[in-house]
Amino acid sequence: MPTAPIDFNALIDGAHISGRLYRDPAIFERELNAIWYKVWVYLGHASELPNAGDFVRRQIGRQPVLMVRDDDGRINVFFNRCRHRGNLVCRREQGQVDAITCPYHGWTYARSGELIEPTFEEGYAADMRREDFGLTRVPRVAEYRGLVFASVSPDGIALDEHLGPVKEFIDLFMDLSPTGEIDLGAGTQKLRYKGNWKMLPENSLEGDYHGPFIHRIAFELHAKATGLSMSSLYQNEVPDVIRYLPGGHMVEDYRGASMAPAQGEPSAGRAAYVAAMERAYGKDKARQLTTTIAPLVYVFPNLLYIMTHIRRVQPVSVDETYVYYQPMLLKGVPPEINSGRLRFHEFGFGPAGFISPDDIEIMERNQIGIQASGNDRSFIGRGLHRDRISGDGGASGFTMDECHLRGMWQHYRALMQAPADLSP
Amino acid sequence: MADPQIERFLYREALLMDEHRFDEWLALWAEGGSYWVPCNADDIDPTRQVSIIYDDYARLRQRIDRLKSGSVQALDPLPRMRRLISNIETDASAADEVTVGSNFILCIARGVDQQLWSGRSIHRLRHSGEGLKITHKKVLLINNDQEMPLLQFLI
Repeated sequence: MPTAPIDFNALIDGAHISGRLYRDPAIFERELNAIWYKVWVYLGHASELPNAGDFVRRQIGRQPVLMVRDDDGRINVFFNRCRHRGNLVCRREQGQVDAITCPYHGWTYARSGELIEPTFEEGYAADMRREDFGLTRVPRVAEYRGLVFASVSPDGIALDEHLGPVKEFIDLFMDLSPTGEIDLGAGTQKLRYKGNWKMLPENSLEGDYHGPFIHRIAFELHAKATGLSMSSLYQNEVPDVIRYLPGGHMVEDYRGASMAPAQGEPSAGRAAYVAAMERAYGKDKARQLTTTIAPLVYVFPNLLYIMTHIRRVQPVSVDETYVYYQPMLLKGVPPEINSGRLRFHEFGFGPAGFISPDDIEIMERNQIGIQASGNDRSFIGRGLHRDRISGDGGASGFTMDECHLRGMWQHYRALMQAPADLSP
Repeated sequence: MADPQIERFLYREALLMDEHRFDEWLALWAEGGSYWVPCNADDIDPTRQVSIIYDDYARLRQRIDRLKSGSVQALDPLPRMRRLISNIETDASAADEVTVGSNFILCIARGVDQQLWSGRSIHRLRHSGEGLKITHKKVLLINNDQEMPLLQFLI
């Protein structure tokens, strides 16, 4: 059925954002083709597949894909679909395999995707070539510091260009490890909410504005336990905390915000960690990395780094989203540093945490609120009069400003306006 | 048949959880007790793997402070909950503690939607001057490896 063209200039008008963008199933369908099947989508990290034969299932939009490490150590990304009759070739979420066998008729593929055996092969014509029936590769796959991205579109900009200036901020959280390596092998907390996927990045990167309202009790408990007051972040607004980076990416950069130092002598593990960081990066950079909160990062469209973890966003429908929280452990550090990271993660995040559940509940109510059509515009205008625009198309603002949200929506609008291939 | 004292204890705990009687529930715990809801599988190494809940006693008290603060969004309004406890099995081979396994089905109403949660709880209970106290509780959710809604209540 032909649909009326959608005027995205009217729906995204500077700081005014139409509620239709969160509730219209036709817009969600267009997002699949114009965003999810077009741009680089984050799938997972190399540390989730340490050995040959390790695999994890993931999704790009609605399409099931499979990441497998082969015997040469390469990470392959295949569509999770048997070449025979289209069955889901791998059902398990993760694990290790010698070969990938479709449960339906037994077609078996190597870890590197080649068809090893179409079963009862004598029934196929002699000129059927096995090499024409390997698992189909997702057209483009690339890594940055172990983060694996893929694109269903054979054409498009290189990953390096897509990431651009956000690489500097990815480096900052990776460099919390003295070897510069992270480990996402600690498992995944999985959550679902009844709201649009775009609310998650919007909410995740503006915590200083909503923090005093919905996270007050978590901040109080944290302050009582650690002596660190998170309220300083919003009580003294400073410039250049909020950043928009070209490519749809957003950052909350706390390097300029001072945190009260921890009281008392550091533990032996903490002291060993700081010493390892100084050896790795020199005193100045090590001090910055170990005494400030690493910037919070959103890589368009579905990767977030938030304090303790990597967060992945999975759209399900216009009003349902899955969220995956994977604690980020550090390689080359004393065990107590990582167990401390796990325990702090559980304090804040996942279905039973003390911070993110309040966000999830609010997003579900947000989804209800935007059903109301009177004045059908959200307003993201905080700081509009004082944005600092940078030469590369980025912008920065004060702690609670919304320039990064405006930037993300501009990027979204450009993608959605582009003449997309709407064939399924 | 389950030991009547243990059965009464589990029913009492269920009632306090269902009715959001947070302080009374905390009073069922021994000082130093720990509360664990594993994530992804029933048997994981919590020092290396993430849990849904992994509370020592200090964290458990923080959890209660937060739940009763009145500012937890998912508790406004308070969900109405009732749970059934069944399939109770006890192992009293340790001298001072008894280990109790039990199944639960928890039904939650919030607005028009109802949620169903289920799993098996493993309690370690110690006899004290004030009756039984929980020294450790582990909850094996049947959906601990699936995308789940918020868990902002006592389980």
